[in-house]
Amino acid sequence: MRWLALIWKSLMRSKRRTLLIVGSLVLSVFTVAVLQSLLTTLNAVTNNPNSSNRLVVRHKSGLTQMLPRSYEAYLRQQPEIETVCALQWFGGYYQDPRNFFANFASDETTLFQIFREEFGASGISEAQIKEYLRDGAGCIVGESLARKNGWKVGDVVPLTGTIFPINPRLTIRLIFKSPKPSDENALHFHYKVLEEGVPYMKGLSGSFWVRAHRPEDIPRLIERVDRHYANSAYETLTETENAFNLAFVKMLGNIGAIIQGITAAVVVAILIVTGNTMATAIRERTTEIAVFRAMGFSAGRVLVLLLSEGVLLVGVGGFLGVLLVNLAAGGVRSSLGMAMPFFADFAILPDTILACLAGALAIGLLATFVPAYAATRRPITEGLKAVG
Amino acid sequence: MTSDRFDLGGGEPIITLRDIAKSYWRETLEIPVLQGIDLEIPAGAYIALMGPSGSGKTTLLNLIAGIDRPTGGSLEVCGHELNGLDDDQLASWRNLHVGFIFQNYNLVPVLNAFENVELPLLITGASRGERRDRVEQALALVNLEDKMKNYPRQLSGGQEQRVAIARAIVTDPDLLVADEPTGALDAKNAEEVLGLMERLNAEFGKTIVMVTHDPKAAHHAKHQIHLEKGVLDKAVEVNR
Repeated sequence: MRWLALIWKSLMRSKRRTLLIVGSLVLSVFTVAVLQSLLTTLNAVTNNPNSSNRLVVRHKSGLTQMLPRSYEAYLRQQPEIETVCALQWFGGYYQDPRNFFANFASDETTLFQIFREEFGASGISEAQIKEYLRDGAGCIVGESLARKNGWKVGDVVPLTGTIFPINPRLTIRLIFKSPKPSDENALHFHYKVLEEGVPYMKGLSGSFWVRAHRPEDIPRLIERVDRHYANSAYETLTETENAFNLAFVKMLGNIGAIIQGITAAVVVAILIVTGNTMATAIRERTTEIAVFRAMGFSAGRVLVLLLSEGVLLVGVGGFLGVLLVNLAAGGVRSSLGMAMPFFADFAILPDTILACLAGALAIGLLATFVPAYAATRRPITEGLKAVG
Repeated sequence: MTSDRFDLGGGEPIITLRDIAKSYWRETLEIPVLQGIDLEIPAGAYIALMGPSGSGKTTLLNLIAGIDRPTGGSLEVCGHELNGLDDDQLASWRNLHVGFIFQNYNLVPVLNAFENVELPLLITGASRGERRDRVEQALALVNLEDKMKNYPRQLSGGQEQRVAIARAIVTDPDLLVADEPTGALDAKNAEEVLGLMERLNAEFGKTIVMVTHDPKAAHHAKHQIHLEKGVLDKAVEVNR
């Protein structure tokens, strides 16, 4: 018999209790890992390294208010600005309203410059871009969106508008790849489709995406643009892309505090449950512990054995929880990713896995130490009397 | 034969108790359990400690076995002054020198007979092969070589106690301590266990100190020591 066998057999003396506690640990680790990964995903949305020199100019009163496209001319005149792209959330769906994905009317002439890093990974050629530019009813779609719907270049995608009263029929001219899955869940079509189809959108756009030459120019640009349009009929709010995305994340409420609150509650609950289970399991073995010590096992050795049981118990639960969450990550991406595009980037990072496993082991040690220490300090003669 | 001098036969003493006292405290109230115990037990002795409930016989056994400490006096067992050992040293000493036999066997229910007997060897540093040989020998000695894979729930009370005896002797200790070893057994199994203990004493020279209420069990020992209210009352050599 090896030590590990002794520890394992001791753990399995009450299979039902062990399975229940492992089950609760699996669920807890799963919950915490998912929540923390959601938080990491949301934080990544607002910390996109590719967006360091991108700005978003929109109406000060909100995204539902439009800005004149004539603003583009002023923006292009600023020496710090490389290019400008009018971008309008279209909000259409394909076949079924539940089949949600991000779709935009965007200035096709500058789109590829603005999102150079995102499209750069596609390896798309000038010829492909020209093909898209040539077809006014063309569109470009991300590879994962195309795969999901079984689309290929040349297919016609009929979109049903929900915000705007048009149902454009778009021909796929290009399928792009992107380093981030969320970017691949998008469709872009020519801005003029919106302007021509919706008369009140002529000359207007919900936002302008601006690319500055250098990140250090951005504070100066923000201040200048907003000051220029202050007190006009269409006042602007200019912000970095990360700040713009943060506004969306904030629409979910103080999601960070909520997630950390739930995580803390789960950790405390599982600590109490594990502690109670280990205390009961150790109390039931008072005599056995006394017999071990009578046979020559030192108090320290018995303590290590009991702690090993606790650590093995939560280790198994933690490992299975992490395994489960990795299996479920794809489901989270496809389900939540449909409701909010940035959740398409949902991933369980190694740091999260390590933190969950470390947390589980710490819970195992903490929950076992107190009853185990008390049991090993109890006089052997008292332990033997506990036979009854 | 009855002796007032506690003459337990010749030979080198394996257990020497000098003015041993033991008290328990209940809040501020001191409850003396043993007082002025002077006793020498020679190697190879088979002693039955007897006396009414509360006379201190189990306490005396626990002190001899090194699982309790006296409040006064000194005790030397198997060549070691136990008062001079710290808890870890005492644990190692027990592992080397003392085998325990309990009334309720106290086998680990999730381990089979082999694994139960192997337990004390896990901390001796013996190799896996050595451990296997010694466990098989110990189980053969108690006639349970065919029950090695059986769990305690699959054994009778007598068989369980024999496994416990195998566990007690597997480290080849000098001293076996038994607290009411037949208290939970029927007459037939009790006889079997007592016969086995007698054999361990006679053939293998194990010194045995056994606490018992049962005169029949005590009759298997070579000497009976009677305690009364925490003091040694008399020693009786058993005539067989």
